[in-house]
Amino acid sequence: MHEMSLVQGLISQLLALAKEHKKTKVLTVQMEIGPLSGVVIDSFQFGFDILSKEQPITQDAQLKIIAPPISYRCCGCGNQINEEQRPKECPHCSETLFSPIGSDDLILLQVEME
Amino acid sequence: MCDACGCDIKPETTSDPKVVEVHQSLFAANSAMAAKNRAHFDTMGTVVLNMISSPGSGKTTLLEKTIEALGDSLRIGVIEGDIETERDAERIRKKGVPVVQLTTGGACHLDAAQIHQGLHQLEHEEGGKELDILVIENVGNLVCPATFDLGEHQRIVLVSVPEGPDKPGKYPKAFHSSQLFIISKTDLLPYFDFQVEDATRDALQLNPDLQVMSLSATSGEGMEPWLEYLRSLVKK
Repeated sequence: MHEMSLVQGLISQLLALAKEHKKTKVLTVQMEIGPLSGVVIDSFQFGFDILSKEQPITQDAQLKIIAPPISYRCCGCGNQINEEQRPKECPHCSETLFSPIGSDDLILLQVEME
Repeated sequence: MCDACGCDIKPETTSDPKVVEVHQSLFAANSAMAAKNRAHFDTMGTVVLNMISSPGSGKTTLLEKTIEALGDSLRIGVIEGDIETERDAERIRKKGVPVVQLTTGGACHLDAAQIHQGLHQLEHEEGGKELDILVIENVGNLVCPATFDLGEHQRIVLVSVPEGPDKPGKYPKAFHSSQLFIISKTDLLPYFDFQVEDATRDALQLNPDLQVMSLSATSGEGMEPWLEYLRSLVKK
């Protein structure tokens, strides 16, 4: 459950942002969670629901998550395959090895406060 | 007027909604610290390995045998990560190399800031300032440690034969973020339904660049390629 410690970092950042902009309430928080980040979206949401309630500034905040799709590049011919599931073999060259393509990052995009 | 008590001191806040574009990685703080660690290791001339596996896959035993084999020719240091206890560090200390135990007190992974502290603790250990290789034995967990860069040069993922060959498919992040995959406890292959080829194929499907080795620290089988791998890292 490393999602919990990541959410803890997010909440601290939100509190710092609110202070910096002299706001008292965080309304919405927009995050992008990359498909290779190793972060489970449900666990992240779960952690946010719990930890955001501990602070008056974040207690009513809504978390919006953008999850960009994963794709795969064939190690044989370089063909890019846009499927959620790892392909069994490449339709062009029958290669079975693929490199996953996608962000491994977890990005705080935008915060709305009042 | 202030909302809380009705006094006429104006609060310092304004209540107009404001959208702030942040575009910052939640890993930024850890990544910055990891980069600092890596620069420090480079200055020390030390190759740093981050070992990730489930609990009980034989990381500490492999380290003990590695120190026995290479301790005279290479200066090896160890940072042990566990949730509780000094047990692993005590085992390594008996081998006569500098070692620091980091206890995370419940956390499921080490992060770059902890390694930074560990590095300074290691400097107080005899021989801890001048090392050819520093091995970080991460908290036994195949999931969370994979997300945190510690500033290592090589990441190594271990799976032991009793755990089963399906681990690469189930825990992809640990495999696609590593450079070396070690299948350990191969002396137990006759007693478990573990096909080395299946585990290797699954791991390579996740990460075609992964180097794969299988070995038994207990019997010594397959140890030589591993020791050679370490020697060649130091030469570079």
